[in-house]
Amino acid sequence: MSVEVKNAIKQFGAFTALDRVSLKVESGELVALLGPSGSGKTTLLRMIAGLEFPDNPQESQILFYGEDVTTIPASERKAGFAFQHYALFRHMSVFENIAFGLRVRPKTTRPPEKEIRARVEKLLRLIQMEPLGPRFPSQLSGGQRQRVALARALAVEPKVLLLDEPFGALDAKVRKDLRRWLRQLHDEIHVTTLFVTHDQEEALEVADRVAILRAGRIEQIGTPDEIYDRPASSFVYDFLGNVNLFSGRIKDDSVVIGETAFALTEKSGAEDTDAVAFVRPHDIRVTRSASGQSTLPARVVRCHAAGPLANLELERLDGGGWFTVQLSREQFHELQPRTGETVYVELKTVKVFAESLPINYSI
Amino acid sequence: MLPGFNLSLGFTLFYLGLIVLIPLSAVFWKTSTLSWSQFWDTVTMPTALASYRLTFGTSFLAALANAFFGLIVAWVLVRYEFFGKRIVDAMVDLPFALPTAVAGITLATLYAQSGWIGRFLTPLGIHAANSQLGIFVALTFIGLPFIVRTVQPVLEDLEPELEEAATSLGANRWQVFWRVILPMLAPALLTGFALAFARALGEYGSVIFIAGNIPMKTQITPVIIMAELDMFDYAKATAIAVVMLVSSFVLLLGINILQWWTNRYNTTNLA
Repeated sequence: MSVEVKNAIKQFGAFTALDRVSLKVESGELVALLGPSGSGKTTLLRMIAGLEFPDNPQESQILFYGEDVTTIPASERKAGFAFQHYALFRHMSVFENIAFGLRVRPKTTRPPEKEIRARVEKLLRLIQMEPLGPRFPSQLSGGQRQRVALARALAVEPKVLLLDEPFGALDAKVRKDLRRWLRQLHDEIHVTTLFVTHDQEEALEVADRVAILRAGRIEQIGTPDEIYDRPASSFVYDFLGNVNLFSGRIKDDSVVIGETAFALTEKSGAEDTDAVAFVRPHDIRVTRSASGQSTLPARVVRCHAAGPLANLELERLDGGGWFTVQLSREQFHELQPRTGETVYVELKTVKVFAESLPINYSI
Repeated sequence: MLPGFNLSLGFTLFYLGLIVLIPLSAVFWKTSTLSWSQFWDTVTMPTALASYRLTFGTSFLAALANAFFGLIVAWVLVRYEFFGKRIVDAMVDLPFALPTAVAGITLATLYAQSGWIGRFLTPLGIHAANSQLGIFVALTFIGLPFIVRTVQPVLEDLEPELEEAATSLGANRWQVFWRVILPMLAPALLTGFALAFARALGEYGSVIFIAGNIPMKTQITPVIIMAELDMFDYAKATAIAVVMLVSSFVLLLGINILQWWTNRYNTTNLA
């Protein structure tokens, strides 16, 4: 039981929005489509809704629980869609907005007025806006509008709920509240949901699984833990953010950064290839003395210790640029770093991606 | 409050007074030289009554026809790309720019029995020249741009997401139009209708050439006013003008209330 896209291609002029994308979302799952702008995430969502159609209808398929909906128009797909800018009907009250999907049904399947009222009331309770039914959208805040848009999409009992950057137009505080609320709502009603975002924090926090898109392809799909701990490519690593890049060279079983060689856990078999080592700021240890061989000397450029974690900005002495280290408050007070002094850093968890090789390594 | 309120409000009132209120109050003042029974006899004479019916009736029908066809023109100009679109777009303004007498003479020539259009209508038993149909044609001609130019920008601003949202909720194209697009266009459509209607009520130049001005049949109210003026009976002329003025005002006020009602969702903003 799943919502599935197989092998979809979509081009807009010379621009390829989707390049043979396949995606499977299990029933009741909450999946985030994460990627930079132009990566095709919104196009994929619109294609599932039936607002776009694949360029290769013979080779591609869109399945809702086994049923082929590839050529079925949006109005008959029963996919609930919420837009970034809500697209509420301004001339209708909140109540009528939510009731819209029920009122436009043909007479034979339209529920009686009493049932429509009951269902809208129930949805108003669900979005915690019971008294606001008679209001017009212009009288609501952004967060309230997005909740109405969600209720409107849910009113038709969709087979899949599709949210296009649902929190994109809201300010930071409302965003955080609303995404927590969305997660709770999903745990309550278990409707298969896909949402598009370019905010990695949002995707990792809310979704059961995250699909990362790049240039019309799915780069990696997995649980937030899998994606964060085992990124499949340098792009995923970089896109998830909060990471330092050290460029160096792979030489057989070690990677050389600056003048320091770090041993790899597996043999690469490669001879002298360009590589990039990715290290998260909290996976770096800072000491005053060069203890082992595998340390890099660096100069402290800036320290700021406000908040639960202390951040150090360091500059490599070998001219390889700046990087950031995160220390706990205790570590920071133990070390007492001063601006301008030289320290030695040890890389604890490193992932190395060799650009010209198909395999990735870790130290 | 923004600075300059007093000055700008003062200017606005002065300007409106000079351009609108003083000439209009002169109409009332001149009318007041008539006794009440003289006034009543003048404004209820059979030719005047017939002219009110004709003027208001044909103006209303012409504005209604324009509301329908003008919406289609605006729709085509906004929603489709085609060769010569800009020329068509410019042509919409012609009735604005053309002197009304020129339009009237042109229409009268076209729709005359031997005219380019009239010669095809006559065998069908349709007589556009010297008939109410002719007046309707002339009033439709001068009213078209009002509808197109008020509806067009609103239609351009209508987000495609609204239609997509309605579609994904299961609405068919017909329901999308009736339940989503038309209600959103209604305020603009009513504004355009009111402007076209008001313009038609006062229209003179383009009508007189095609109408034939037969009393009781094709004589519009402005023509009656002109006739009274020609006889130097200024008080009688202004009496009929007062009737026109008051009824136009009441009608436009009604349309404005209706327009406010259709647009209430935009005006009731969160304080």
